[in-house]
Amino acid sequence: MMSTEARTPMVRLAKRSDMSPRMIWCIRFGSILIALLLGCIPILLTGSNPIAAYEVIVAGSLSRPIYIRQTIRIAIPLLGCALAIAPCFKMRFWNIGAEGQITMGAVFASYFALFWVNRIPHVPLLIVMGIASAIAGGIWALIPAFFKAKWNTNETLFTLMMNYIAIGIVAWLQGGPWEGRKGSQLIPMFNDAARLPEVFRVNCGWIIVLVLAVLMHIYMNKTKQGYEIAVIGDSVNTARYAGMNVGWIMMRTMFISGAISGLVGFIIVSGANYTLYKGVANGVGFTSITVAWLSQLNSFAMIAISMVLAILEKGANTLQTRMQIPASIADIITGILLFCMLSSEFFINYRLIFRRKDEKGKEADA
Amino acid sequence: MKKISFVLIVLALISGFVFASGSSETAAPADSNTVRVGLLCIGDENDQGYTYNFIRGRDEATEMLKADGINVEWVTKYNIGEDATCRDANIEAAEEGCQIIINNSYGFEPFMLEVVDDYPEIEFISCTNCASAFDGRDNTHNAFANIYEGRYIAGVVAGLKLQQMIDEGTITPEQAIIGYVGAYSFAEVISGFTSYFLGARSVCPSVTMKVSFVGSWSDATAESDAALALADQGCVMISQHSDNTTPATAAQSRGVFHTGYNNDMTGIAPNASLISTRIDWGIYFYEAIKAYVNGEEIPQDWCKGMGDGAVVMTQLNEAIAAPGTAEKIAEVEQAIADGTIQVFDTSTFTVNGEELTHAFALDTDGDFTADSEEAVYDGAFHESVFQSAPYFTVQIDGIEWLNAAY
Repeated sequence: MMSTEARTPMVRLAKRSDMSPRMIWCIRFGSILIALLLGCIPILLTGSNPIAAYEVIVAGSLSRPIYIRQTIRIAIPLLGCALAIAPCFKMRFWNIGAEGQITMGAVFASYFALFWVNRIPHVPLLIVMGIASAIAGGIWALIPAFFKAKWNTNETLFTLMMNYIAIGIVAWLQGGPWEGRKGSQLIPMFNDAARLPEVFRVNCGWIIVLVLAVLMHIYMNKTKQGYEIAVIGDSVNTARYAGMNVGWIMMRTMFISGAISGLVGFIIVSGANYTLYKGVANGVGFTSITVAWLSQLNSFAMIAISMVLAILEKGANTLQTRMQIPASIADIITGILLFCMLSSEFFINYRLIFRRKDEKGKEADA
Repeated sequence: MKKISFVLIVLALISGFVFASGSSETAAPADSNTVRVGLLCIGDENDQGYTYNFIRGRDEATEMLKADGINVEWVTKYNIGEDATCRDANIEAAEEGCQIIINNSYGFEPFMLEVVDDYPEIEFISCTNCASAFDGRDNTHNAFANIYEGRYIAGVVAGLKLQQMIDEGTITPEQAIIGYVGAYSFAEVISGFTSYFLGARSVCPSVTMKVSFVGSWSDATAESDAALALADQGCVMISQHSDNTTPATAAQSRGVFHTGYNNDMTGIAPNASLISTRIDWGIYFYEAIKAYVNGEEIPQDWCKGMGDGAVVMTQLNEAIAAPGTAEKIAEVEQAIADGTIQVFDTSTFTVNGEELTHAFALDTDGDFTADSEEAVYDGAFHESVFQSAPYFTVQIDGIEWLNAAY
C-alpha cells in the first residue's frame, strides 16, 4: 500500500475509551489550570496583576452575602435553561432557540403582570404568569419541531431565527403598546404583586430550578419518555425500527424544553428584572448550552457549572469596578476557560497519534 | 464517578468561599475631605458624545473640588445597559464604598430606584430623569440643565447662516429647510428641536424644519442614513439629538451645514459643522459633591442654564459661519440670561394655527400623561421650571415630523 504510506498524516486521531476516571479528572483540572494561566495574558496586557485580578473575581462574587445573592441570581436562569435544553441535546436536536423561548415566556408573564395585576391576587397571579410563560415558551419551541418532524427542516437555523423574531416582538412592545412614558422605550416596573417572593433574600426561582433539576434527572433516567429520547439520540433508525413515533417524540420533547425555558423567562422578569426589555434573555439561552455540554447533560453537574459561570460573570463586574479592567477582558477570560474545558473533553475522547520517522508507513498498533 | 465529580466541584466552590473571605474589603474613605463617587455610564468616552461629555464634567469637577481641598475618588463604570445590569451596577458601586452614585442615563432610574432603599445613607442621582419629586425618598435626586437655551443659540447660528445663503442668492427663502435627526419622539428631543427651530426662525423668518426619528439614542449608521436622507430631501442644514458624530460627516459629504450636540464636531466636519452646544456637567457635579462634603443637602432636583455656565456653546467655526455670528451669540446669551428672551415665547409660534395657551408640565399620578402645573403663563411656555427634565411635547407649526419613534 504505497499510497497509504505516502499519505500518512502528521497527526492522526483515534477514538479512545480506555482512560481511567482518575486520568480523566486530571485532564479536566489540568485544563482549568491551563485556562487560568492563559487568562493571565489579557490581564497582564491591561497592566494589572493576574493573581490580584483572580482574587477580585472570587471576592467580588462570593465575599459578601449580597454578592453571593447576586451570583445566585445570575446562576438561576443559567441552570434552568441548561435543564431545558438537555433533553433536546440528548436527542441530538440542536435547539439553540432557548433565547427566544425565554423571551416569549417573559412576554406572556409580563402581559399578566402588567394588565391583570389589579384583577388577580398575588399567588394566583404568579401561578397564571408561570403557566402562561411555560405555554408560550413551549409553543415557540414547538414551531421549529413541527417543521422538523413534518418536512425535516434544519432545526439549528430555524430555532436560531425564532430568537430574533421574539426579540423583535419585545422591541416593538417596548416602543409601542406597552411603553410607559412616551418615547422613553421603557416598560413600567411590575407592581409588587407580580414579583416573585424572596426566600433567603433571593427570589424563590432558585427553589424552582433546583426542583426542576431533580425532576429532569428523574425524567431523563427513570422514565419511558427519557429512554425514548436517549434512543433517538443514539440512532433515529433504531428508534423507528423499535416502533417509536420519532416526529411526535421530537415535538413533545421540544415543547417540554421550550416550556422550561419559558418558565425561566418568567423567573427572570418576575424575580430579577421586574420589567420586560428586549435583552431579557441576555445571552442565557446560549451560555446555558455551554453549561449543558460541560455537565455532559447531567442535571446535578449543571448546578455546579452554572454557579462557576455565574461567579465569573459577577466577578467580572467587580473586576471592572475595583481594577478598572474593561468588562470585555473578563469576557475573554471566560471564553478561554470555556474553550479549555470543552477541549479537554476532546482529549478525553480521542488520542493523537504522531507520525514518527522511523516507523514510516507502519500503523501504530493502538 | 459522576458523584465524585460533583463532590469535587462543590469542594472547589467552598474553598473559593474561604479564599474570598480573606481578601481585602473596600470601604468608604475615612478622611472626611475625601469622597468616593460612583459614575455609571451608558456608553464610554469613545462615543465622543453623550458619555464623553459626562467624563469631561467628571474631570472638570475633580479639578475644581481639588482647589477647594476636596479629593474625589471616582468609581466609573462604562457600557451599562438600561436594564437589570444597571441595578447590579448600583449595588456594586454602593458595596464598593461609594457615598454618591450618579446614573447618567434616563433609562437607569427605574432600576436605580430598586436599590436606593437598601442604602439610605448613600445619595443616588439620576441625571435627565424626574422621579425624585414624587418618590418620597430623601436620598434620590435628579439633575438636568437648560439645554434648550443652548439649542436656541445653535438655532440662531444656523438661522444666520441660512439667511446669509438666502441673501447671497444661493437658495431661495423657501429652500431654507433644516433637517433634524432625532433619537425618539420624546419630550427631551421635542423640546430640543423646537427651541432650535425657534432660534433659527428668530433670525431667518422663512425657515422650516423636517424631523426624522431614528428610534435609537445611539446608532451611528441610522443617524448617518437619516441625515443623508434629509439632505436629499432638500435640507441645507442638519442638526441632531443623538449620540454620534455621523450626522456631521453625512452633512459634510452632501455639502450642507450642520450644528451638533454634546461635543465640538468641527474637527471631523470642518466644512459643515458650525457650532455645538453641550451641558457642562462639571458645574453640577461640583455643587452636588461640595454640598455633600459640607454636610448640606444635595438639591432634590437641580437645573441651571447658560447664566450659570451649566450649558455652554463650543467653539464657533468662524471660517464658515455667517459674518457677525459671534456678536449675535453674545447678544442672545445675554438676553436669555437676563430674561429678555424667552425661548418658548408663545407669541413666536402657533399650534394648528393658534397660540398656545395651556400645557401641563408634570405627571403626578404615574400614567405618563402630564396632569398638573400649568407651564404656559406670562406669555411663554416655561420649560424645566417645575422639574429639571424637559416636558415640552407640543408639535408646533413649521416643523414637519417625517415619522415618529416612541
